[in-house]
Amino acid sequence: MLSNKKHIILVFSILLFLLTAGIVVRKAMQPDSYGFAGNYRWDANQEIMKQPVLNQNSKTCSECHESIYNLHEKDAHYTVPCVDCHGAGNVHVAFFKGDSLNGITKQQAYLEKEFKLDGCLLCHQKLVARPADFPQIVKDDHYKFLHVTDPKTQCIQCHNPHEPIFLLTDVKNSRLHPIVYKCTECHSKTPEKSPKEVENHPTIFECKDCHAEITADFNSKPHSKYIDCRTCHLYHKENETTGRIYKNGNAKFCLLCHEKKSFRDEKYPPKIEWPNHVGNTSIISKSDEKICLNCHEDKIHQMHLSKAQNPHSVNWKSEHKDIAGQSKEICGKCHTSNSCQNCHMKSKPSSHTADWKKDLHKVSGAKNPSSCETCHKRNSCYGCHKLDMPHPKDFGETHKELIEVKGKELCSNCHKEDFCKTCH
Amino acid sequence: MDKIERRQFLKLGLYTTAGVMMGSLFAFSRTDKEIDYKSPEDLSKFDWGFLVDTTRCIGCGACVRACKVENNVPDSYFRTWVERYEIDKNGRVRVDSPNGALESFKDDNFNEAEIVKAFFVPKLCNHCYDSACTQVCPVGATYESPDGVVLIDKERCVGCGYCVQACPYGCRYIDHEKGVADKCTLCYHRIQKGEAPACVNACPRAARIFGNLKDPESKIRKILNLRRYGTLKPDLGTNPKCYYIGLDMEVK
Repeated sequence: MLSNKKHIILVFSILLFLLTAGIVVRKAMQPDSYGFAGNYRWDANQEIMKQPVLNQNSKTCSECHESIYNLHEKDAHYTVPCVDCHGAGNVHVAFFKGDSLNGITKQQAYLEKEFKLDGCLLCHQKLVARPADFPQIVKDDHYKFLHVTDPKTQCIQCHNPHEPIFLLTDVKNSRLHPIVYKCTECHSKTPEKSPKEVENHPTIFECKDCHAEITADFNSKPHSKYIDCRTCHLYHKENETTGRIYKNGNAKFCLLCHEKKSFRDEKYPPKIEWPNHVGNTSIISKSDEKICLNCHEDKIHQMHLSKAQNPHSVNWKSEHKDIAGQSKEICGKCHTSNSCQNCHMKSKPSSHTADWKKDLHKVSGAKNPSSCETCHKRNSCYGCHKLDMPHPKDFGETHKELIEVKGKELCSNCHKEDFCKTCH
Repeated sequence: MDKIERRQFLKLGLYTTAGVMMGSLFAFSRTDKEIDYKSPEDLSKFDWGFLVDTTRCIGCGACVRACKVENNVPDSYFRTWVERYEIDKNGRVRVDSPNGALESFKDDNFNEAEIVKAFFVPKLCNHCYDSACTQVCPVGATYESPDGVVLIDKERCVGCGYCVQACPYGCRYIDHEKGVADKCTLCYHRIQKGEAPACVNACPRAARIFGNLKDPESKIRKILNLRRYGTLKPDLGTNPKCYYIGLDMEVK
């Protein structure tokens, strides 16, 4: 027996030894931070975080280059970050901020400027796959249109990359506008038929639908042969139903076509020497950038949008329910069928507070029953009250029959139990 | 007498070994280090998600160039790339991505008049909730961080390449210089410093949106609540976290 006991102790001792040895070896082999947050080495996370940040944020650039940044923010390239044209910029920032990164020469810190032709065409080369509302060119066609004779002409000889189309109004403050379509946004070629001639064509919305007077005026002027509305009124699609229209009458914008330059056809389109054309340069001031229009307004179109053309008044938000209530088809002329729902289905009217269901709704419901019908169905009162609400005028006579059919409990939904006793 | 001595010797030997072992267990046991970065609990308040609006993408390749520079990606490999899909009127589909769209796209593949629709689809690691690459790693080098990013512990990785084959989206490659697998980290080093990933930072059309899916006020959450979106290869059950707006059936 005793010797058997010895054997058992021996076996268990060996097992204990192996177990401890296993644990010790595991501890020794396992990295320190293993299992801290899961079945992996937690330190690996920190190592990955240590990688240096190379591509700079445009805000970093604005700390030193504030004026250029502000100009860039104002014009159509405002969404294009600095790194796209100038490279990552980490060496540049480190050098000029005097960080501990030694051995950087000024040469290395010099930023590349990628606004050569190839650089611009990375985004603006015409491709069918690019969204149609994005400005894109075929180089030869663009030069032909502008009568550029020298094929080596670079984009920056006309366009300033920080201010490519010389907008008058800040992009972010430009006006929101329902979507304006061009046929080529869906069709690869401009179709011969107008959308109205095509059966079952989806409703589209063109400039002339609302601005008939101005469009007619523009079409009678020479510019209409060469450009269309959106050449000057650049359009930026924001989502499915709205976009932004930029007004553009900036002198520099006119000069994109009409300034005399060595690489352009001299005669066509009519060229001027800038600023000699104006004669007295002192009249050009920053506050009056629409200087071309002061004299040449008649060559483009009338500039004043009369208020009668804007279908909506100033108090539209509060007034629109009367018109929308009469007929929703009127709204459908310009707006999509679900645009009412954008506001009305997402949130309840502010009057529908917590007490609304309990007692408040009967006041306005009694005063103006049709107001409920803007959103609710005509017979929705019936759903809870089981009778027409508010009580019809002859209710005094008819209520007896009604109670016989439907029972007294119906009254107690709103009235107190002893309410009948007030008369009977 | 001899017998007893031997027994005592064995006993003594056993106890000393056990003692040494127990002692060394304490000696080797881990002492938690001071951590100067966010704890797993803090990180788990985030769930980084990615959204690509293909209807906005212009295929300029700025994201690809920015990623190459930021992460020093070897030539001919890509952590993010842009694909172009062109469908002609006969229903033929042509998909291409010349050099990952590093230098954008030059010409249309079909005759312009024959193309009925065409669009760009930027691709990157989907950081799947149930990622295939994490499951197949034989050494446990691939892991999901507490803030929901699929990462690689390059010290553990043996470069066997199983994960490269397992990824159904082709988002991984072997970095032959270091002999380890590599992939998009959602620029983990940038997002921890409050910067957007390099590709998001470089996108000129806001076609790439990045943010915290756990924050109901984040831009990505708001857009996901508003727009209709999809994921790539949902049938594989990888549960990707990279959402796409405007996906076509042809996009795989």
